[in-house]
Amino acid sequence: MNRRLLSEAKLWLVAIPVLLWTLIPIYHIFLFSISTKDSAFSGRLWPEHPTLRNFGTVFKQEHFYLHHFWNQIWNSLWIAVAAGAITLAIATCAAFSISRLRVRGGRTVMNAALFTYFIPAAFLAVPMYKAMGTYGLLNSRWSLVLAMVTIAAPYAIWVLKQASDKLPWELDEAARIDGATPMQLFRLVYLPLMVPSLVAIFTYALLLTWNEYLYAFLLLSHENTIPLAVGLGHFLASDDSPWEILMATALVYGLPPAAIYYAFRRYMVGGLTSGAVKA
Amino acid sequence: MASVAFSKIEKNFGSTKVLHGISLEIADGEFMVLVGPSGCGKSTLLRMLAGLEDITGGEIAIDGRVVNDVDSKDRDIAMVFQSYALYPHLTVGDNMGFSLRLRSEKKELIQNRVEQAAKILNLGPYLHRFPRELSGGQRQRVAMGRAIVRDPKVFLFDEPLSNLDAKLRVAMRAEIKALHQRLKTTTVYVTHDQVEAMTMADRIAVMNDGRIEQLGRPLELYDRPANLFVAQFIGSPAMNVFDGIYKNNSVEALGAHWPVPSGTSVQEGQSVKYGIRPVHFDLGTGGITGEVVVVEPMGSETELVVKVGDQSLVIVTHGRSSAGPGDKLSLAPNAKHAHLFDVASGLRL
Repeated sequence: MNRRLLSEAKLWLVAIPVLLWTLIPIYHIFLFSISTKDSAFSGRLWPEHPTLRNFGTVFKQEHFYLHHFWNQIWNSLWIAVAAGAITLAIATCAAFSISRLRVRGGRTVMNAALFTYFIPAAFLAVPMYKAMGTYGLLNSRWSLVLAMVTIAAPYAIWVLKQASDKLPWELDEAARIDGATPMQLFRLVYLPLMVPSLVAIFTYALLLTWNEYLYAFLLLSHENTIPLAVGLGHFLASDDSPWEILMATALVYGLPPAAIYYAFRRYMVGGLTSGAVKA
Repeated sequence: MASVAFSKIEKNFGSTKVLHGISLEIADGEFMVLVGPSGCGKSTLLRMLAGLEDITGGEIAIDGRVVNDVDSKDRDIAMVFQSYALYPHLTVGDNMGFSLRLRSEKKELIQNRVEQAAKILNLGPYLHRFPRELSGGQRQRVAMGRAIVRDPKVFLFDEPLSNLDAKLRVAMRAEIKALHQRLKTTTVYVTHDQVEAMTMADRIAVMNDGRIEQLGRPLELYDRPANLFVAQFIGSPAMNVFDGIYKNNSVEALGAHWPVPSGTSVQEGQSVKYGIRPVHFDLGTGGITGEVVVVEPMGSETELVVKVGDQSLVIVTHGRSSAGPGDKLSLAPNAKHAHLFDVASGLRL
């Protein structure tokens, strides 16, 4: 009994600082967003006159920096979903052919995918800008979608390939004997069993894109095409930034990822393959 | 239904040769068991028949048609895997009907065939469950159901019972055998368990090290093993084998004279291996004396480990034995059932 108590106490000793470390900045954002402009920097743990007016300002686009708020959040969503979907399609096909069909050169592709991570994304920013310029895609949302797909796909391929390798090989053999073509195998056996990993990878690419700033800032500059992340950056352009409104916007911007993560959390853990083969 | 013919089949994995020219003909409707120790190549041979492994050399024919370059799905075979390999995201019914669905058969036909198979295998109440909700034995039956629904030319079984507990294994053994008697589909069954082989097979091919050591009916293999390997592999407990010298129509070994079957033609003074099964001894008579080391009562029979000379022999006697450890016991080997093997080649003499 005492031992259990002790080990539990140790766990709490680690958990509490980590929790505070994570939550304090978020609380800080929240605090700012419900404060009036005058009391934002008062240093209190709870504002004297908490208000939701900042959110009203954001949703009604009533501030100079927020004139395109809805447009920009739509851009964020559009770009993130497109990048997530394309990354998912590419990575799924790659993982299936490398892991299950064992195509020639699969290892090379995997090594190449890994190799891309030796080059920091920031190094590629300028070449990417030039490339998009050559294709005439600058200031089009597609430029950011394509850039994010190149960044997310290698990791996505790795994760899906590892997950594919864990599917029992006998299932493929059974399906082949049952008369399945590779396409039928993909559609009727592989995809249904990979759903948890597919959701996880889609969420990964979506959130990565949603949170991207550097490439978005570089590739998109028109107020109507930029995502909200870049829009938020514009707040800092003035000497006297409206912090309470910036924080309110940031909180709104942070909600969709939290919601997505919450909705798909059960897919982050596997378990769909139980019962296929004797463990 | 169909015949299967392997002709000089060879298989290499890289530079390792695992099958050395196997030729084997399986008749229409026959239940053929491939048995042997792990790594003897039996599963590889089956997988080559299924089209899951490339053929390095030789030919495989199903119903007279060479299938070396035919895809698995066009060979009209069904396979039951050791791990069941059920599709975890499909219900039992959908698992069984999967092959028909791939062939775009009509829904009613699929349902009919699945229900028929479910009836044969007593799976009726489980058709809407998922594999994870079934016990090991039920999953194994679903795997068989999936094969039956296909109505294939050949059934392939790859150690289907190894994952089941002992009691269930015996029950499923009988079920598979009954199923074969009912459907009469040509069956190739791989196992490492000689009891399964003996009880189920029409004919057994005993394999070792990429070769077929002997091919024959179960009791033929038991009564007249062609070599030492088969002699010691078939039968449980294994045959007692020891070195001796042939003299005066008997074998001198372990300080005693061991009788040989009549008509044995071995040269006087030749070294031989003498083999005798545990059940082929009469106890309490005869000139050979041994000391009881271990007594293992099983109820219907008793297994004794008896030391003769410096060799421990296993002896099985029907009923109970009053012998205890340390007792002296006189033995009479049954000459009719003794086997002699060549020392160098291991072949039967």
